[in-house]
Amino acid sequence: MTSEIPLHAKQRLKGLRSGVHSSGVFTSDFSVNEFLLVRKAGFEPIGLCVGSCVYHVGIQYTNWSKNQELDVLSKAMYHSRELALSRMRAEATAMGADGIVGVKLSIKRLEWDEHLLEFIAIGTGVVHGEGHKGFRAHDGGPFTSDLSGQDFWSLLHAGYRPVEMVMGSCVYHVAHRGVLASLGNIGRNVELENFTSAMYEAREIAIDRMQAEAGAAKAEGVVGVEVHEGSHVWKPHVIEFFAIGTAVLPLEQEIAPEKIADPIMVLSVND
Amino acid sequence: MSFFDLFKGPSAETLAAQQEGEARRADILLALHKGTVPTRVQQRLEGARSGKLPWIATLTPAELIAVRSHGIKPIASVSATCWLHHGWSWTEGHQQGWETALRRLRDEAVAAGANAVLDVKMRTIRLPVEESMDFTLIGTAVSVADLPPSPEPIVATVPTLEFVKLLEADVVPTGLAVGAAYEWLTDWQGNASQAWKGNIEAKKLSQLWNRVRHRSYAELRNNAQRRGNGVLAHLDFSQMFEVEQNEKMRYLARHIVVATTVDARAGAPFPHEIKMAVDMHAGATPLTGTNRHHQSYELNDEEGAI
Repeated sequence: MTSEIPLHAKQRLKGLRSGVHSSGVFTSDFSVNEFLLVRKAGFEPIGLCVGSCVYHVGIQYTNWSKNQELDVLSKAMYHSRELALSRMRAEATAMGADGIVGVKLSIKRLEWDEHLLEFIAIGTGVVHGEGHKGFRAHDGGPFTSDLSGQDFWSLLHAGYRPVEMVMGSCVYHVAHRGVLASLGNIGRNVELENFTSAMYEAREIAIDRMQAEAGAAKAEGVVGVEVHEGSHVWKPHVIEFFAIGTAVLPLEQEIAPEKIADPIMVLSVND
Repeated sequence: MSFFDLFKGPSAETLAAQQEGEARRADILLALHKGTVPTRVQQRLEGARSGKLPWIATLTPAELIAVRSHGIKPIASVSATCWLHHGWSWTEGHQQGWETALRRLRDEAVAAGANAVLDVKMRTIRLPVEESMDFTLIGTAVSVADLPPSPEPIVATVPTLEFVKLLEADVVPTGLAVGAAYEWLTDWQGNASQAWKGNIEAKKLSQLWNRVRHRSYAELRNNAQRRGNGVLAHLDFSQMFEVEQNEKMRYLARHIVVATTVDARAGAPFPHEIKMAVDMHAGATPLTGTNRHHQSYELNDEEGAI
């Protein structure tokens, strides 16, 4: 092997510890590639940040034959995620992190009570290697992002930095169709406009809310947006539309835009 | 809401929200009837178009690099749904359902002032509603630098990286084409499935499949003709059922193919050399483009699409 092993790595191989971090140890859930790319982007991981929240979701009675947003449930899904995320962010602030990358937000049901849901947010707190504070969010706290380490590196090289993980939720009751209404359609393919419009409304509300959050974070745009549909613990006609993405701002002096290389096109010869 | 809240009347806030909801639903229904974009969606798209609202992209950061280096800018998330009741034919409904959704998606893209919609995914929400299916398309409307907004934006039902690769090769993805066919076969002689015969071709069923598949591919070709000169990456959905009716066996074979239509100039060279590269992406690599992009027909994946 011709490549030189760096001095620090050699010392580590000899059994000496690193003194870079305050506790001497950083924790992260990075994979190898992720770790290398986050460091390539100029950041060092300092520790895992976790926030969780067990939430009792209230009851909302629905009109069997009506399309409508279930605002009690929408608010519950919002509030609980917000609690988990803000706790995670508080942990990152306490560590002195400039941001959190690779945030995973998950929901668990608790076995003994269908109204109890646990929300968990976990990600890796990172600091800028040269102490640059320009990467922090609009409020001076750490940025949050559900992007992986690879995506984080790519985003910086696209000329953007992450600001905040933004989301929009809408829990929606889709009306049941009466038996008579279905009999009228035999022999024809017809659109069920009631259902179509339910999808439109619920999706629009979720996207609208996510966009409003991005506006509040003074972001220019939102990347990696996904719109999920899930039913969690509710009845079959109740679905949650959940939009989530990372709000971003253009880099100003952190990386000069002209330094960004054009990507190289790769055609994979793997099947 | 606690149990006791049930005995109180709705608050002023709730009432206002209810009224707003009613108005919004009425507007959406009206827009569906008139074939226009609902007012709220229109407002959001115009806000994004003028830069008053943040842009929204389903693209990953890596995809964002790729489109930006080609002068492409994201505008907004656009989507369309057509929930269709299959009173006449489940199979043929797919053609109608996707076509309607495609038209609506294009209308939203026009409202956003886009040149194209990228990363268009086919989605289906499964609710227990008898004899019906949700046809939803969702993607990112984008504009291309130096081009005026298009009255007929192109719709790319491929992931963004593949879209860019296609563009570099002078191929333009243009939309979706669907071919769907089905046929009922009544087994008058009772020998179609060749039960108890050992190794032998079940000819009637072979021929049934053959006819149905040929018809669906022929229809795919016809439908694709309106949008381009080729199709790529089709996905298949096929099912066969055996039903007993009046002491006779009946067989239903249905086959649906959905494909991305492209406009390609024959013989256009691909301008890149081949180099070895190491992919740093964790897990399934986006380079191969084989990660699942659509979920509407995944039911069939489990059985193994043919």
